[in-house]
Formats: sequence, structure tokens, C-alpha cells
Amino acid sequence: MAWFTLILAGILEIFGVAMINQLSVKRNWQTVILLILGFGSSLAFLSYSLQFIPMGTGYAIWTGIGVVGSALIGMIVFGESKDWKRIVFIILVLCSAIGLKLIS
Amino acid sequence: MNINWIKVFVAAFLEIFWVIGLTHSHDLWTWTGTVILIIVSNYLMISAAQVLPAGTVYAIFVGIGTGGTVVAEILFFGEPFRWGKIFLIAVLLSGVIGLKLVTENKSDKVKKGVES
Repeated sequence: MAWFTLILAGILEIFGVAMINQLSVKRNWQTVILLILGFGSSLAFLSYSLQFIPMGTGYAIWTGIGVVGSALIGMIVFGESKDWKRIVFIILVLCSAIGLKLIS
Repeated sequence: MNINWIKVFVAAFLEIFWVIGLTHSHDLWTWTGTVILIIVSNYLMISAAQVLPAGTVYAIFVGIGTGGTVVAEILFFGEPFRWGKIFLIAVLLSGVIGLKLVTENKSDKVKKGVES
């Protein structure tokens, strides 16, 4: 159950970032509310999951899903750059952040 | 450096403090400060992501927040120092600098017309 809510938290985080993107396309209150609901529910599911999953592992997985998912959605849906250098640098930031969360 | 990059870095810097606040807040004042920092930090991040690519902004925001929190825990809260952590922070910073160098504003594209 905790793993399920953790993955759900990651997916809601991707949704939140997608709403940040959506806001730059179309600025309205509905998007702002969806954005807040997305991140809010994501954090709620994350903190529930962290009662059962070790903190470093839980955070690392949540961050990983969020960063990878939002980068992919940005490239596929919102036309963000697919430049290989950008992808390599995002992977560098992501891997080091995950590493730090696992060893800390 | 353009204003949106300043927003990203200030947002990430403030994130370090609210992450610390989430674990170390103990009374009404520290919790109030933490909540204010969360709001300001996320507002700046979202505002920067209206012009810079959101995927890039979010990766940097999360990355610097994580690296900065690890440094703060070592400096101020007695977490053990390890070379592995310093190495990972160096990798992280090189990724952030790289992203800064290869990123273009998306504002031109938005003006061209995805708007409905």
C-alpha cells in the first residue's frame, strides 16, 4: 500500500509540473487550483508513504518519478527542447540528487 | 543573468530552509516561517517556469534543494561528512551549470501561438 501511494504521489507531482506548463500556455484560475491540488495531494501521499518506507529511499523515488516524468511530459506535450545536452544535464542533476538522498 | 534564472536560484536557496524547517520546526513561529518560505519559494519557481522550460526549472529546483540541504545538515546539524556527498554535489552543480548554458527562453514560442 505504501509503495502504491508513493508512486501515486510521484504521478501527482508530474501532474503538478504539467499544470505549471499549462499555466504558461493558458493563464486561468482553474489551472492554478489544479496545480495546488496536484502538489498538495502529492505531498500528502508522500508523507503517508514515508511512515512505512525509509525516508531516503522514499524521497529518492518520489524525486526520480517527478523529474523524469515532468521532463518527458514537457518534451512530448509542451514542446520543450529535446537537445541531447539538456537531457544529459537533467540526468546528471537527477542521478546526483537521488544518490544524495540515498546516502544521507 | 536574467531575472528568471535569479528566481530559480533564489527559489532553490529558500527551499533549503523550508526543508530544514519541515524537520526542525518546533513551535508556532518556526512553523509559520516554514509555511511562508514554502509559499514564496514555490511561487518564484512557478513564476520562472512561465518563461524557462518547466522540466529544467523543476530539475534544478529539486537538485539544488537536495544538495543544499545535505550541506546544511553537515554544517549545522551534525550529519557525518563524506567525500561521496561532496562528489555528488559537484556532479549536481555541473549538471545545473550545464542546464543554465543550454537553456533558451520559451517565451518566443508562447507568443507565436499555442495560446487558445
